[in-house]
Amino acid sequence: MAHWNKFEKDLNKLIQYISGVPEEDPDFQMALQFAWSNVRFHRFLDVDSHKITRVIDGIHEKLIIHSELPKAVSWRRLTDEFLELPLETVEGTKTKEHYAILSLLLALSDSPSNSQYTEKARQKEEVQHDDFDWAKYLMEGEEIDIGPYPDTPEWSEEESEEELQESLSREDSGIQVDKTSPEEQAQIKKAAPHASSKVGEPEARLWLEQHVVTQYWTNRAFKFSHSFHLHSNLAAVWEQHLYNTDPLYYSDERTFVTEAQVIRETLWLLSGVNKLFMYTLHDGKISVRTDIMVAHLTQNCLRAVLEQIAAYGQVVFRLQKFMDEVIGYSSESCPPGTLPMCKKFTEPPFRTYQSFVWALHKYFVNFKEELVSIEKCMITKDETVTLAAVLEKLAPRLSQLKILHKVFSTGIAEVPPDTPNVIRASHLLNTLYKAIIEYDSVGEAAEQTVSLLFSLWVETVRPYLEIVDEWIVHGNLSDPAKEFIIQRNNNVPVNHRDFWHSTCTLYSVSEKTGIAENISDGAGSSCNIDQESSSKQHTMVSFLKPVLKQIIMAGKSMQLLQNLESKDNPGLLMQNAHRDAERKSLYALFLESLQSRLRYRENPESCEHAVPEQQATKESLIKVQSIVARHLELEDVHDPLLAINFARLYMEQSDFHERFSSGDVNVDRSSESVTCQTFELTLRSCLYPHIDKRYLECCGKLMQTLKTDYKLVEYLQAMRNFFLLEAGETMYDFYVAIFDKVKEKESWQHLSFLNARLQEAVAQHYPEDSSRLSIYLENIDIVKKRLPVHSIDGLTLSYKVPWPVDIVISSECQKIYNQVFILLLQIKWAKYSLDVLRFDEPTEAYEKPRETLFENSNWSFEALKSPIRPQIHRMFLLRVKLMHFVNSLHNYIMTRILHSTGLEFQHQIEEAKDLDQLIKIHYRYLSTIYDRCLLREKISFVKEAIMKVLNLVLMFANRWQTGLGVSKIESIEKMESDFKNCHMFLVTVLNKAVCRGSFPHLESLASSLMAGMEQS
Amino acid sequence: MANAGNLNAVRETMDVLLEISRLLNTGLDMESLSICVRLCEQGINPEALASVIKELRKATDSLKVAENMTG
Repeated sequence: MAHWNKFEKDLNKLIQYISGVPEEDPDFQMALQFAWSNVRFHRFLDVDSHKITRVIDGIHEKLIIHSELPKAVSWRRLTDEFLELPLETVEGTKTKEHYAILSLLLALSDSPSNSQYTEKARQKEEVQHDDFDWAKYLMEGEEIDIGPYPDTPEWSEEESEEELQESLSREDSGIQVDKTSPEEQAQIKKAAPHASSKVGEPEARLWLEQHVVTQYWTNRAFKFSHSFHLHSNLAAVWEQHLYNTDPLYYSDERTFVTEAQVIRETLWLLSGVNKLFMYTLHDGKISVRTDIMVAHLTQNCLRAVLEQIAAYGQVVFRLQKFMDEVIGYSSESCPPGTLPMCKKFTEPPFRTYQSFVWALHKYFVNFKEELVSIEKCMITKDETVTLAAVLEKLAPRLSQLKILHKVFSTGIAEVPPDTPNVIRASHLLNTLYKAIIEYDSVGEAAEQTVSLLFSLWVETVRPYLEIVDEWIVHGNLSDPAKEFIIQRNNNVPVNHRDFWHSTCTLYSVSEKTGIAENISDGAGSSCNIDQESSSKQHTMVSFLKPVLKQIIMAGKSMQLLQNLESKDNPGLLMQNAHRDAERKSLYALFLESLQSRLRYRENPESCEHAVPEQQATKESLIKVQSIVARHLELEDVHDPLLAINFARLYMEQSDFHERFSSGDVNVDRSSESVTCQTFELTLRSCLYPHIDKRYLECCGKLMQTLKTDYKLVEYLQAMRNFFLLEAGETMYDFYVAIFDKVKEKESWQHLSFLNARLQEAVAQHYPEDSSRLSIYLENIDIVKKRLPVHSIDGLTLSYKVPWPVDIVISSECQKIYNQVFILLLQIKWAKYSLDVLRFDEPTEAYEKPRETLFENSNWSFEALKSPIRPQIHRMFLLRVKLMHFVNSLHNYIMTRILHSTGLEFQHQIEEAKDLDQLIKIHYRYLSTIYDRCLLREKISFVKEAIMKVLNLVLMFANRWQTGLGVSKIESIEKMESDFKNCHMFLVTVLNKAVCRGSFPHLESLASSLMAGMEQS
Repeated sequence: MANAGNLNAVRETMDVLLEISRLLNTGLDMESLSICVRLCEQGINPEALASVIKELRKATDSLKVAENMTG
């Protein structure tokens, strides 16, 4: 059925209107279904006109009985009138539809006798409608200028009177649209006429209205005094058109305002006022009041324009709120960055946000000035100010606001509330940084934006740079609010061995998750960080990334240095403080070079103008400082601390001054001109060099201190002397004593014996090291112990390295040293046992002792003839082969590896720039010798082969000494073949490695072993 | 649609109806009244419509109460 469709539309509207539920809501669908089924399938009878008439009569009677005579009369007249009037779509009067409508109203009626009602208002309307021909007025569009003049005010009067009745409820607030229920409205309507007569009464108010401003916010009726030209009455014309085409058109109550009022309110809104008439603030959202109108625009058009402005107003409001929040908990008078003033608060202030707010504040001060100038322009009425003109004038500002909001919402608003400060700070800085880079790449199109963002960034970055400055200059990482990406681990004291490795924690924010991850910053802090950042795309404050390593190094070095100095020389701190007074902070340096860089491009004159001024202030400062000092001396007060504090105080004030006067202007100037130059380049030339310089200074100083005062190089040499047996004669005394004991088959594994030997040997040549060196035994597994060569594996040499050198020579390093030491001992042992063998021993053991050693050693031909001779000969040959092998190995390790690598190492140590680099060089050195001594796990098969040979040597020596009687020809052959196998194996492996060319150092070993092979 | 004379007549009718509605304290405003009139003109049963409106009002009120309780 076609008309069901029409029903449905109207039903939809009705449900929406009554319930206020949006169409998408599931509740709405339910309601619709309910209504639909009730309307289609019901149990009611058709409308009975007689019955309705009876009910009407009944009500009339009832009203009379209740002595509501006026009502009764109205009722009777109204119903009669209605039945005689035509309906929209139905022809005729007193039709079924008339009764249907009445029936509906009757069914909905709610105790009419109790409700209050006056009919007055309607009658007036009726009269006006009757004698006014709007259609005619509009149809004759051409003649409108000379159109019926008296009609227009009358129409507007009607409108305003309607308002008067409808809207008294918001007289007081002036902001909220009051949605009163129909009952209440009815009551208000009744009360309206009395109220309206009162409002206008005071003369003062009238005077104000005439001379200052009409009180449009009170919704009082007032007349417009503007022209009746068509253009200025567009709204009325449109209204009329609607009125004429749609009979059921119902115009809401409106408040007429002038465009000047709209502009003024707009300006106020943008300057942060939120109690306005046209813009309402509701739940933190700014919206446009629906019922305002200007005469020359349609309501929709005005609304569209104002809603845009409201969006900006919303931005201003949000930013203002944020600023209030941040400032709220510190004090109003506390500018960011001046920490001492804020210290009285229990919670340390979050300086990064404060600085950001400070920057925003500066921006808004500017913005408000502009707004005020526009308003002044309006007040003086020198030129025409229209809404469109104002918007156009403000367009750049508005787009800036948009960007600010974008930055704000991504940088601050989106951060969950319980995030630690470090993430908030770095996130904010990153957001700014990224935004700058993003807009910077656009080029000239975004010049303004970049300069705005840049000025924000420069301000916001201030606390960070101050923290960095404090750290790399004074060595304290003072960061009460925990906002810096690097934080000190307080549980590690400075004079602890682990200080260098675990003093700081670097927080980096993972971009995707936003979760902070701590990278405990170790010796290889920089490489550690690099790896992490490349793999996970960390964004710890991006702008610091290129110099992060330097900052960490410089900071830690400074901290360490401070500690060393204060330990050695307490007076030094004082001197430092003296020096400090003349020093410029990192931030100041940054700003200065920024200005000079940017101004250099812009206009060189202003630069000349500014710099001498600064110098002048500085000179005067120094003068004052000396005056203070003299003054103090005059009063016989010899207190350098006091003098310094005076100077400091003055410095602080001047800093303050600089910030508020010249500093400010300069920043803004610079931001204005930071144009087409890429931002990163600017940073590179203005910020990084200062940090780099400082880094070089402190690290160099630390290296110097470590090398000269703490004898770092000497300790490294000592390690090489004792562990790598560079102090040949000393260590020879020590190990030969052990080898002799082993040879004599005496027990040597007594700690006291070992230590005594060691001390004895060392004390002779290096008395200062003897107290540091000690030796002890570690348990080794029994499987290994069976082989003679491994019996010395448990020996552990230890060298007590004092702080702070133990940062470089850690216990891990000592372990590596020790492994090399053991290997060397094993080789030395094998070499020694072969060396001490005497040629007469085997024969002596086998035969009767001969006459002389000489005779025996020159093995005569007769001797060879006996069956035992060939065996001895073979023993001799084998011995020589073994000696060749051991000697080439010994040579390789002692000269080719240890010595030359040691030389390289010494050279690198000289050149090391910072402690971290030094530690790295040391590690690299250790791992190189570890590698080249073939100790690496990967090539353990080579080491095993060598060990086998060494073992063979020891066994061979043992046999030699105990005599050949025990050693059968078979056992000699076995030794020979074992040796041959190992030898062959080693030669092949080494040759392969050498041929590949990847291990040039092996070449000498391979060739000397080869030589041994060819002879055999 | 209707001509200008008729328009005015219809508007007057609506005004009268609004007065009646107010007198009877039906709680309908101009907008909802005009929808209802349109529906009635299309032949919908007025009593059924009235019951629907009443039910809807009740449901809306209870919904609001529930919201206030939870909110």
